[in-house]
Amino acid sequence: MNLEKVVFGFFVLLAATLNFGFFIGDISDPALHNHYELFAAVVVSFIATVLKFGDRTQLGAVHLSTSLVADLQLIGASLLYGYAEYVSSAGMTPAWTASVVSLSGGALLANLVSVVLLVVETVSFHRG
Amino acid sequence: MTIPLLTMWRSLLGREDDERRVRRATLRAAAASAAQASATIFLVLRRMRTPLIVLIVIFAVTVLGLTLIPGQDTEGRPWRMGFFDAFYVMSYTASTIGFGEIPYPFTYNQRMWVTISIYLTVIGWAYAIGSLLALLQDRAFRSALALQHFSRKVARLREPFVLVAGHGRAGELLGQALDALGRRFVVLDLDGERIDALELGSYHADVPGLAADARDPGHLAVAGLDHPCCEAVVALTDDEEANLGVVMAAALLRPDLPVIARATSRAMAERMRAFGSPDVVDPFDRFGDHLRLALRAPASYQLLTWLEAGPGADLPPRGTPPHSGRWVVCGYGRLGRELTRDLRAEGIRVTVVDTAPQDAEADGLLVLDGSHPGALAEAGLEDATGFVAGTDNDTANLSLVAAARRANPSLFVAARQNRPANAPLFAAMEADALLVPTEVIAHEVYAQLSTPLLWRFLREMPARGDAWAAALVDRLTGLCGPQLQALWKVRLTATEAPALTGWLAPGTTRLGDLLRNPEDRDEHLHAIVLLILRGGEALLAPDGDVVLRPDDELLLAGWSAARRALGTTLVVDAVREYVLTGRRIPSSWIWRKLTRAPVSSGEPAPRPTAPTPS
Repeated sequence: MNLEKVVFGFFVLLAATLNFGFFIGDISDPALHNHYELFAAVVVSFIATVLKFGDRTQLGAVHLSTSLVADLQLIGASLLYGYAEYVSSAGMTPAWTASVVSLSGGALLANLVSVVLLVVETVSFHRG
Repeated sequence: MTIPLLTMWRSLLGREDDERRVRRATLRAAAASAAQASATIFLVLRRMRTPLIVLIVIFAVTVLGLTLIPGQDTEGRPWRMGFFDAFYVMSYTASTIGFGEIPYPFTYNQRMWVTISIYLTVIGWAYAIGSLLALLQDRAFRSALALQHFSRKVARLREPFVLVAGHGRAGELLGQALDALGRRFVVLDLDGERIDALELGSYHADVPGLAADARDPGHLAVAGLDHPCCEAVVALTDDEEANLGVVMAAALLRPDLPVIARATSRAMAERMRAFGSPDVVDPFDRFGDHLRLALRAPASYQLLTWLEAGPGADLPPRGTPPHSGRWVVCGYGRLGRELTRDLRAEGIRVTVVDTAPQDAEADGLLVLDGSHPGALAEAGLEDATGFVAGTDNDTANLSLVAAARRANPSLFVAARQNRPANAPLFAAMEADALLVPTEVIAHEVYAQLSTPLLWRFLREMPARGDAWAAALVDRLTGLCGPQLQALWKVRLTATEAPALTGWLAPGTTRLGDLLRNPEDRDEHLHAIVLLILRGGEALLAPDGDVVLRPDDELLLAGWSAARRALGTTLVVDAVREYVLTGRRIPSSWIWRKLTRAPVSSGEPAPRPTAPTPS
């Protein structure tokens, strides 16, 4: 068992699960989307990105790019959330909530690709 | 009919296959080196992982803590900090900017947490920045960056360049001569200091340099061995094995490139010649040849050294080495052996002096300590005519020269200078002939690289005899002065001499007519044609009556001004008309139509009695 692989897989999967937890529920209902969960998703996604630094394989490069996509989407979601909470006077309206959650949904797709890559890597390793 | 066609097709295909194979091999070599560079950068990224994760975790924990700890607003109502406020506070706290407690003054709970956060984040930042700076200082990382920078520079070269491996004294001299000719070159050297010195050197063009081992084909490929603009490879390192490695790599990866390599032993030269057909320059062998030439034809030797010394060289004095009598050669190393062989081949008696010769069978060999007083007297200096101080130690050579001069002031003295730093001492000694191996190499390589015509001229010139060379030297100095300003090549083709194409075909244009001053055609240009290459045949130092033909290649020596003037004559129709016939015709189209001057045809019109005013 390789500890590095364990940590790597843990963070990739955790980023996907946290994101999924934030994403699930009625898209326009702010009560169903906890902002602590979004924060955790952002932090874990960042860590997963850094963990993918310096991998020279083709799979490693794709891993890094999916992670960067997820980061970008989540940063967008956080910015929208911050704008709704602090700048706009209306607060988290259903429309804003839907925007934030849909952005995180995009990030979830990227996270899922990451997970698939992880599975592919593992399977091909065993076959090889 | 089909069989020859088929074989031709096959041979063509075969050649293509060969080329493709060579191309692939070169690409592989370059890729290996580039991968090495990117590997280092990946390693750096990998090493930054831990500091970055530590930083992210510290930020996450402190921000989360701030949002969880209950606070209160100005009216004392319970209030919780949002994520944005918390991130803002932590950002300026971590970077030690410190805007204070916003949006409301903190409670003691919050202050305690912020105190802990300050220490945590400062440690996190210090760790991350410290790691980054340490990596930037890392030798492997820096050399990887240098390699990338270098390969980008070389890949961007769009003009022909020479790949020089080894930038010692010889490489430096060669580089200066090439730079003066306006040629580009790329340098590989093991010594980083020499590469740094490249940037300080006052070259006109940018010289890409890399501190790397030239024996590695990957480095050679990065330095442009596989670049389509690479026109020659020169191996001038101190290490013979490295030179052999460069020759091998060039012969295997780019068989079409000319290769010039330095070797100081016959065995090594033979090993190099096993790969393709490199030009091997052996300074001692060449000096022996030069000495033979100087003995037989002092003027030819003078002309040779003058032309080889590069642009801007002064006319060297014509030495008169004694052709009869007995020579004493001190030092029976590589130089001593070559010289003794060459001198004996000229029919001169030679006495060899060495402290510990490896080859004691040579006749006329005296085992003596040359530095010992009285030892030279034993070698019979009093009745000798020539003396060579050829050991590999400069101090010994200088003292030998001094001792020999004292013993016999009329001696012809030749000395070998090994280290460039000792040049002033040897200059003050005023030896009759001075061998500086690095200069011999640099001049030789320069002569081969500058233009193929010069090399051809230098090879065919000695056969013409001493009187011929003396006459040519007189013509050159009479017309252009004792300094060689420029040496250039002109091709009389439709692209390089468009004004002349129609005039050359009938075969009536004489060389003497062409070399006239465009300002005043009665004045001869300050330039001399050293050689005309027509087909494969070379005409050496032709006189003014030689008739020029299309596609002739001319090698000229003379003033830079003459070069510009000749360039104008070859390109501008009106100037050509005046220079060749003395007629002044208007150069603009409208004025030509107005004056109805005859349009220049192939046949030069008879010269009018009075020039047409323009």
